[in-house]
Amino acid sequence: MNEGKDLAFNSDIAEKWVMVIDDLEGMRSQLRMSLSSAGFAKLHVVSSIKDALERMKSNRYDVILCDYALGDGTDGQQFLEYLRTNDLITRNTIFVMITAEQGYKKVVAASECAPDDYVLKPFTAAEFNLRLEKLLERQEYFSVIDKATDTKNWGRVIVECDKRLAFKDKNFIDLCKIKCSALMRANRQQDAADLYNEILLLRPIGWAKLGLARALQQLNKTEEATRLAKEIMQETPQFMAAYDFLGKILATSGDKNAALDVLQKAREVSPGTMSRVREMSNLAVSAGKPEMAEEVMRQALQKHKHSPVRQANDYAVLSKALVNQGKSTEALTVVADAQKSFKDDHSTIVLSAIESVAHKAAGNTEKAATALAKAMSFGDMNKLPASTVIALADACFASGKEAEATNLLRHAIQNNQEDAAIRSRVHDVLTAAGKDAAEANEMIETSTREVIQLNNEGVRKAEAGQLEEAITLLCQAADRLPNNEQIVGNAALVIALDLVRNGNNPERLRRCMHYREGFIKKAPNHPKIAQIDAQLKQLK
Amino acid sequence: MNDLYAVIVHDVANQLAELSLRLGSRGDAQHEMGVVMNATRRLSGMLLLHRKQNEALSVNPDQVNAGDFVTILAAEHRELFPNLVIEVNDEKAPSLAFFDDALVRMVMANAMYRACLAAHSKVKLSAYERDKMLVLEVADDGQGYPDSLLAEGIKAPSPANKRGAGLALYLAKNIAELHRLEGRHGAVELSNAGGAVFRMILP
Repeated sequence: MNEGKDLAFNSDIAEKWVMVIDDLEGMRSQLRMSLSSAGFAKLHVVSSIKDALERMKSNRYDVILCDYALGDGTDGQQFLEYLRTNDLITRNTIFVMITAEQGYKKVVAASECAPDDYVLKPFTAAEFNLRLEKLLERQEYFSVIDKATDTKNWGRVIVECDKRLAFKDKNFIDLCKIKCSALMRANRQQDAADLYNEILLLRPIGWAKLGLARALQQLNKTEEATRLAKEIMQETPQFMAAYDFLGKILATSGDKNAALDVLQKAREVSPGTMSRVREMSNLAVSAGKPEMAEEVMRQALQKHKHSPVRQANDYAVLSKALVNQGKSTEALTVVADAQKSFKDDHSTIVLSAIESVAHKAAGNTEKAATALAKAMSFGDMNKLPASTVIALADACFASGKEAEATNLLRHAIQNNQEDAAIRSRVHDVLTAAGKDAAEANEMIETSTREVIQLNNEGVRKAEAGQLEEAITLLCQAADRLPNNEQIVGNAALVIALDLVRNGNNPERLRRCMHYREGFIKKAPNHPKIAQIDAQLKQLK
Repeated sequence: MNDLYAVIVHDVANQLAELSLRLGSRGDAQHEMGVVMNATRRLSGMLLLHRKQNEALSVNPDQVNAGDFVTILAAEHRELFPNLVIEVNDEKAPSLAFFDDALVRMVMANAMYRACLAAHSKVKLSAYERDKMLVLEVADDGQGYPDSLLAEGIKAPSPANKRGAGLALYLAKNIAELHRLEGRHGAVELSNAGGAVFRMILP
């Protein structure tokens, strides 16, 4: 590195915003000193996740240095997972885990939430600073790709990766990894599988094997995918992502007990993140093992007592597990506890629904009715996530409101037409409410058929030139089922066709853009986007 | 040994980490810092030995930039041993290297620390390719390895063994051998050539 470049680098780092999260006072002050003497000027040093989140509300950080073992129960890895799943940091933010745990890397390898680097304690200032320097170089190298990733522009990600892959530089494997996941997101599973295989020819790397398994599974080669996942678990038992993957495959295939066995094994290796805890406790409830659900969720909530990684849903699952064991009084205590910390609309619905179920089980019919009425009083069901709608249906069944319950479940199915997990949960609620399997399947199939017919009807009308009727039909459906890609995409398309044919109409254009936006959010790589855009282009 | 021991070891490692940063900020306590770093590695080594004895030691190779790897390792030891010349030679390092970063880093840090303590004035850290294998090499200009060690090879650690029970070399050998590819596996080579030469060879 020549002198000029060195200086440029130093002036750069003075501009970088850095946050340090460590619960140990001594480490905080030492890290602060070390970073200041390395030239970092914009530093925030905090002691807890809560303070970190508070800071993040008003500031964007380039670098986050987080200790793995944070005192309040939620560790750095769980915090990172929380940040990523809630889009609280951009892909270009450098997240470095500081850990005394030698085996840390294996636990997070291949997970969606691996940090950019990790530093093993103890370290010298020289090592630490040099690592940061390398990471900042890397940040710059990947900035264009990261920006495209943040906007979910997978086509752009792939193109930018290809440009750089040609140089076969030191980032070659990282570029391959990023390109692979972009290919997967862009629904090009076969291309992703091919690239994973190319990497595996170089080396049998764990994440590439798991990536290949994911691609194969989406290509309906479930058997091969399962075999690969088992192979990884055998070779590297600490490779947690393989357990989660295999658990999902088994659960989707209907073998809930086998899925639970796998997740239980994972739990023995590592306590795991909230997403595994959620997966496991939901599965356990639906597999008729409420004791297991109770144990897993109780332990997790105890551990994360004051942490933001908890959700109202977690308490709802725990309460449900308790109700299913006949412990309705305990369930009510859990709900009451949760209601103290979760007061937003969505949490209120979820918690009131389960409160109603618990009251009903405890024989308090009146209180059950009051809680259910509260849950149902939030108006627009169309905007609620499917899990909440299903929880409401469950509460309706418990109170004998069959018609409302069935309506809600129909909505959940139609709004998430292609989601196998939702169908499976609807099936669970129906059977728990006393329907037999055939009846449950029939209800699910009918709901699906209805929405397909509705969509086809709209398309037919559009093709027959009855644009006005098509628009009315599809827009009504899209407003009712904003999560249904097919419907929302077609609603945007018919309006675009109408605008081209019958001239611009600002109100219609606004609606078209609204559906188009929703559609892109759901299916960023759908070929229909190009169709819609081709029409809109003609307007200009 | 159970989780409780692991928790205590991590707690001690945390305290030692703080101590080493404190020492680092004093500017005149490099030697003490080195002792702290080494003590922590010995604690981690103890946990790894336990895993090895339970047949639970496994490696997870991934791509590592060998040039950056040796550069960072050298920088760390330059800070600990300001009176030594620590040279890095990574010109012949392969562009793509694959190994378990965390475990190999510990092995190489042990080797560097030993070399720096033994050296008169110079330690050379190199990364290069030989017979399609990656070689990470530490050479010092000290007394060299004792003849008995070179003659007998690396043995399982024992309380009767003087040099720290022989834990570091034993782990080095095992971690190298766990790196396997297409029928080949890694190895550790010790020799004397104007001082001690430690080589970790990885497929």
